[in-house]
Amino acid sequence: MSQHTVTKLALRSAAIGYVLCLILLPLTAIGFQSFEDGLTRFMDDIQQPQAKAALTLTIEAALVATVINALFGTLSAWVLVRYDFPGRAFLNALVDLPFAVPTLVAGIMIAALYGATSPIGAWLNTGGIEVLYNVPGIVLAMLFVTMPFTIRSLQPVLMELEQDQEEAAYTLGATPWQAFWHVTVPSVLPGLLTGVFLTFVRALGEFGSVVIVAGNIPLKTQVAAVYVYGEIESYNPQGATSVSVVVLIVSFLALLLLERLTRPPGQRLPALLQQVFSAQFLVLRSNSKLNSQN
Amino acid sequence: MSITHYAKRFGTFTFGFVITLVISSVLGLGPTFGGVCLAADRELMLAIYSVPKEAYENTLIPAFKRHWKQRTGQDIRVRSSYGASGAQARAIIGGFEADVAVLSVEGDVDQIAKAGLITHAWRNGADRGNVSASVVAFGVRKGNPKSIVTWEDLTKPGVEVLYPNPKTSGGAMWDIIAIYGAGLKLADPKQGSAEAQAAALLKRIQKNVKVMDKSGRESVTTFERGVGDVIVTYENELLPRVKSGRPMELVLPAETILIENPAAIVDRHVEKHKVRDIAEAFVAFLHSEEAQRAFAEYDFRTVSALPVGGPPVKAFPQPAHLFTITELGGWDKVASLLFGPQGLWTRTVEELARGK
Amino acid sequence: MRRLFISLVWLYFTVLLIGPIAYLCVQAFGEGLTVFLNEVMRPEAVHGFWLSAEITLIVLLFNIIFGTVTAMVLARQRFWGQTFLSGLIDLPFSVSPVITGFMLILLVGPGTILGTWFGAMGIKILYALPAMILVTLFVTFPFVVRELTPILMAIGTDSEEAARTLGANEWQIFLRVTLPAIRWGMAYGATLTIARAIGEFGAVLVVSGNILQLTQTATLHIYQSYVDFNYVGAYAVAAVLLAVSFLILIVLELVKARSSVMTDRSSQMVSS
Repeated sequence: MSQHTVTKLALRSAAIGYVLCLILLPLTAIGFQSFEDGLTRFMDDIQQPQAKAALTLTIEAALVATVINALFGTLSAWVLVRYDFPGRAFLNALVDLPFAVPTLVAGIMIAALYGATSPIGAWLNTGGIEVLYNVPGIVLAMLFVTMPFTIRSLQPVLMELEQDQEEAAYTLGATPWQAFWHVTVPSVLPGLLTGVFLTFVRALGEFGSVVIVAGNIPLKTQVAAVYVYGEIESYNPQGATSVSVVVLIVSFLALLLLERLTRPPGQRLPALLQQVFSAQFLVLRSNSKLNSQN
Repeated sequence: MSITHYAKRFGTFTFGFVITLVISSVLGLGPTFGGVCLAADRELMLAIYSVPKEAYENTLIPAFKRHWKQRTGQDIRVRSSYGASGAQARAIIGGFEADVAVLSVEGDVDQIAKAGLITHAWRNGADRGNVSASVVAFGVRKGNPKSIVTWEDLTKPGVEVLYPNPKTSGGAMWDIIAIYGAGLKLADPKQGSAEAQAAALLKRIQKNVKVMDKSGRESVTTFERGVGDVIVTYENELLPRVKSGRPMELVLPAETILIENPAAIVDRHVEKHKVRDIAEAFVAFLHSEEAQRAFAEYDFRTVSALPVGGPPVKAFPQPAHLFTITELGGWDKVASLLFGPQGLWTRTVEELARGK
Repeated sequence: MRRLFISLVWLYFTVLLIGPIAYLCVQAFGEGLTVFLNEVMRPEAVHGFWLSAEITLIVLLFNIIFGTVTAMVLARQRFWGQTFLSGLIDLPFSVSPVITGFMLILLVGPGTILGTWFGAMGIKILYALPAMILVTLFVTFPFVVRELTPILMAIGTDSEEAARTLGANEWQIFLRVTLPAIRWGMAYGATLTIARAIGEFGAVLVVSGNILQLTQTATLHIYQSYVDFNYVGAYAVAAVLLAVSFLILIVLELVKARSSVMTDRSSQMVSS
């Protein structure tokens, strides 16, 4: 065998070995543990009122955060791409900040500003809005950590979407609404869906910020990750694993659904994920397009 | 100068930094690399519950190290970890190689014993294995705006109550047992069984509970952050806060429980690390007069009667109806009555969540 | 309309990002510069910074090596199970950090085969540095791989093939041909890895044992301070981490800018 083939095979074994040990092995451990006593025990564990409540709360809060993120994220992406205004570059750079900030620090910041001891928190409380130790706080924390997803996945798409395309539609006799529906939306949809689903999946698992900001009342303000943490700490590995597995399954299904929804021929989910995080994609667009717009 | 130029320079610098870091770690100049280091000092590992951190870090541990050096001429290293009592017990069972467990409730020490890590009858030691004591008390906002004085006051509508989660916090278990015990004491024989009335009191109070933190310490943090009107916790957590001028007051209910916190050697680990002598000396030290006085400085009540003739220790107010866990039937019985899968507290929480 | 949109976006950013950051900085220095410096230079804090740096650097090393290898394998080779492998790589994104730590406990805890084996050899994993490194490796794995794979796919293997026919060996090819082409993608992935590693909290909370001045990372130290009512201390160290985050952000933006130049050049290389 040539040196090339040997190298290829060696690299392949190294990669496969590393990934299997680092990622697959721990996952099988958790799968094993949760189904160790059989399916009925598993179902029992997740039907526990506390477990069920934690799961429901987490999914609901994540959904709310996802909707808000989708709305404001789309708006932000649009504004950042299409308009030029003082501070645009600043805001654009700021979008990546939640990737760089530790989640615990995010939680502390939010708790500090919106808790009862700060002027803003006190003001909100008198208005009846309690952020800390309540669902709004959970949603806020989730929003913080997921903020970049929709924005960064929409920006490249919006940049690519030439205004010319829309104008072309108009000249061919389409109304603005038709242009929006039939030109803008289909182009933007995959990017939007990617951002939305990533937001949801990320919000489901958030711990560091939520543990500071949210309360820990079982059945009321306890999210799945905090519940799992509590169960780990109280000698109940079955309870912890069963809820963990449910969260993992929901995440997996969401990502699977995303792939189904966004698959034009030839494009696969990993490629889409790469687009969200890929440097070159954004920059190729931003440097050339933005300077020539507005 | 182009970015590439700076990047190249930066790269060399980073490379050198990494090499230095790795070498110094291996040599033990930085954090030890999982054991590979040149330090030869004997090391004692402590797992302690969250609340008495200041007492141990600032006074007890340094004092013990001095004593040990005086007695044996050895310098030792003492490592300590602080966290919720239940969490620490779990960690020890899960592999955390603590030599001594200083926990909030005897139940947590029993768990470690059940896992086979503690093999001696730890309750047969001095003071039944306990090293510090306190009572359950209320912390309220300055001026006590909601006039909270008795347990009944905690059930009033609009009063937000705080205590930690008994699944992780030993302190929370004490708090809830105190409620139950108080309910028993307050029970009116004409209104049915004492147990039923105590259960009812527990439910009415739990209804007002807003947040349940992981540990006693975190619970007080939450209270400080402005959440809740009253926190049910250890007296020794509240006193220092009050003394340091925080806007809160301590209210001692007439009926409350005597909290006793155990400390025990973890046999399996002291054998492995060959530090039994140090560990035993440490636990003995905690029972000593010097340590007990130190505990009093930190607003703990003492477990052992101090020898007559020494300087008086500050007087703590005595609750009118103080009771102990023994009077209620002992730890195991009470713990399973309240916190077991069908326990009173467990069911109360579920019922409240379902809106009953 | 335009004004409204821009204002709304400013509002969104302020409520979510700018407000909390500003308030944290104000609070961190709330009791003066001396107190801030005292808190940041306390032995526990210094140890925390040091430990976080150590873990991050080790994790970075592993990720650069194995991330590159995995990306090269994914981008250039075809084999059975490839899609499965690719899916596995994305998994850490969707696993909650607490679950990550928990999985390690399940895997190498005292009652397990692996745990007993390591214990017999005297190697401590849980409640010591190795566990913390392992969980951080898990959560940071996707970054470098996902950065490099599209780049490797885009530039193709023509240059490497050419070098091979000219007689270069594999190692030379990698160093002289592949590496220069992917270095900015690698830098970007490395930066994301650093950010994620420094910020790790949930997983290390579960597996570290929280031993003061031994296994407390910077984030764990912040948490300890917070819980000990030392808010200024917590805010101060948090502010330091925040400053590091900003530095990381700047590096990210610089690398992005640099990367466009490289990609244009490399795509020119490919097409010509």
